[in-house]
Amino acid sequence: MHRTVRIFAFIALLCLTPTLAEAHAFLDHASPRVGSTVNPAPKEMVLWFTQKLEPAFSSIEVRNEQGANMTAGKATVGGDRTQLRVSLKALPPGNYKVLWRVLSVDTHRTQGDFNFSVAR
Amino acid sequence: MSTRDLRTALCAGSLALVAFAPADAHEIVGNRFFPATLAIDDPGVNDELSIPTISMSKTGDDPSFKQLDVSGEFSKRITEDFAVSFAPTWSRLYAPGGPNMNGAQGFQNLETTFKYRLFKNPEHEFVMSVGLEIEWGGSGAQGVGAERFTVYTPTLYFGKGFGDLPTSMNWARPFAITGQFGYSIPGVSKITTAATDPDSGEQSIDTEFNARVFNWGATLQYSMPYLKSVVVDLELPDFFNHLIPIVEASMQTPVSNTTTSGTVTTGTINPGIIYVGNTFQVAVEAMIPVNRQSGTSVGIIGQLHLYLDDIFPTTIGRPIFGNGIASSGRPMFGR
Repeated sequence: MHRTVRIFAFIALLCLTPTLAEAHAFLDHASPRVGSTVNPAPKEMVLWFTQKLEPAFSSIEVRNEQGANMTAGKATVGGDRTQLRVSLKALPPGNYKVLWRVLSVDTHRTQGDFNFSVAR
Repeated sequence: MSTRDLRTALCAGSLALVAFAPADAHEIVGNRFFPATLAIDDPGVNDELSIPTISMSKTGDDPSFKQLDVSGEFSKRITEDFAVSFAPTWSRLYAPGGPNMNGAQGFQNLETTFKYRLFKNPEHEFVMSVGLEIEWGGSGAQGVGAERFTVYTPTLYFGKGFGDLPTSMNWARPFAITGQFGYSIPGVSKITTAATDPDSGEQSIDTEFNARVFNWGATLQYSMPYLKSVVVDLELPDFFNHLIPIVEASMQTPVSNTTTSGTVTTGTINPGIIYVGNTFQVAVEAMIPVNRQSGTSVGIIGQLHLYLDDIFPTTIGRPIFGNGIASSGRPMFGR
């Protein structure tokens, strides 16, 4: 019985101590929001992730409908290292695709994409 | 219950147990996260631990009895694409189950699965793996239906997310399906035993034919994490953004050597829900029998599943051999 209790206590410890573990970095939320339509056009794209990031291997691209990259400069990691941001060129009204690729501090690599629109 | 009836019941029980065997693994393919599923194995290859998986159901035997299964599974990647898993299951059969109809308890045969990821396409959220599942004969207790012979099941697994649908069908993009097709081959085709009728004292020879079984199943899942991070952020309370409603189906169809087993397909359809955290997931599903032979009432199954690649990324949570930085873990040895 005691062994069973110890096993369950160990499992509970694993689950309840996420700060001990570094997991895959998934997109938590973004500004502009995923799938949103905004006006005026944003001047920067900011992504928040579920884990800390390695700056050297984390990037954002924002493509217009013709596929041109609309970012102005390299993405930087900020805040508590869970935030990735990049400045944007002037975005005319239209649809945009955000492509992100990040490396969490424990070397798990993840990638993803989403869309947003700038209204007239 | 005669010896023949008992063997037939245990045969039916062992067929049904295939449906309740622990099924695990999680996988990330591009935008798509495929969670570990309970009724069938998913297409992933990873380092993970399911402990425990608990199910309670009423069997399709006649008379039917309650069965409790408590199982675990440990899966370890040898390379980035190849893993081996071990899955013990402890069963308790309540009366009138068991050899003397007084109930029984003990371990089922140990299961080992060798699994290799064949193909992964992030753009189309598609992944395919092949595996060989081995149920080691004689490693479990005969009283709970564990057979004395080994069963080999070569299996094909696949997963497909619908994130590549056009944005005009945004509502459907969080959907994904997974499936598996396996063919179970018993190491012994038949077992012959002498039996004595307890009433007349007459002796007879019973032959039990061990059927080859087609194991097939699928899941349909709707990923709220995918909806939020890929399609549209509805600013729902955080709890809902961790949920994956799911329906699983797990079926077994005897296809040859079916003299003893018959050819009726058995299985369950399992609606349920998965909560996905950073390093673990919790799932619960109802188990609805598809016919009388599959069970006599709705059962329930629950699981706690730990992502070892996320909990121990630098030790047991990475492949033993392989490349350097990888999409889901770093190797213990190598570049």
